[in-house]
Amino acid sequence: MSTLPIAYFLTLSGFLLLAGLLIVLIKRNVIFVLIGIELMLNAANLNLVVFSRYDPTLAGQVFAIFSVVIAAAEAAIALAILLNVVKYYKSSDLDEFNLLEH
Amino acid sequence: MTDVLIIVFTAMTVLPVLYLLFTKDVIRAAFGFVLSLLGIAGLYVLLNSELMAVVQLLIYAGGVIVLLLFGIMLTKRTGDEGIFTGHRNVWLSSLVVLLLGGMLFRWLITASRPNADQKEFAGDQVREIGVLFLTDYIIAFEVIAVLLLVALVGASFLANKSSQK
Repeated sequence: MSTLPIAYFLTLSGFLLLAGLLIVLIKRNVIFVLIGIELMLNAANLNLVVFSRYDPTLAGQVFAIFSVVIAAAEAAIALAILLNVVKYYKSSDLDEFNLLEH
Repeated sequence: MTDVLIIVFTAMTVLPVLYLLFTKDVIRAAFGFVLSLLGIAGLYVLLNSELMAVVQLLIYAGGVIVLLLFGIMLTKRTGDEGIFTGHRNVWLSSLVVLLLGGMLFRWLITASRPNADQKEFAGDQVREIGVLFLTDYIIAFEVIAVLLLVALVGASFLANKSSQK
């Protein structure tokens, strides 16, 4: 068992969350934005696993596994939608997506 | 020894993320993201949760990355020049993220952790998680199975619709 304090991992997870948010905000490519979303989900999972070190019931890890499954389903659906949107606009630049109609 | 490994895996997680923030090359970013996911899997092993490490390797480093690479290849027809993207709203976004980071850091150092003296689960974690899935969390387990089926059917329907037109 490591001797590093829990705050070390919480700081790392906070860094991942902020970096993911920054990537979502500043990048213009749709795939980059998906990567940022996955980074934020990973930060949440890391938090759940770290807190499960102080939990005799393992509930944190069970929730982390559920969260991974949700993230995988989200990535599949998001890519299927993106394929349609990119085909319609013939561009993968988020700034070009300016209509809500088909 | 464990502490050295934690530092190594932390560097493996953090450095590709920093590269991701500054690069404009989408393909290189996707492979950097793989390295970051592997670092997080190593941290899970060092945190004594082997099952989460295996799940991370199989689903993230295996599944999600393949999806992302297919997404990159299908959304852009390209020659040898690579796929590049620009940045926008850099200063405003950095300001927002810095403010949020300050708030998080302040909460991190002032938060009280009433359960910090509790011990972690001792014994066979994988077996216990399997038992929990089929007893206490059986409803969530079944619901998430249906959700995966719906996501599978929906994703193939949407992708099929885009390839027909």
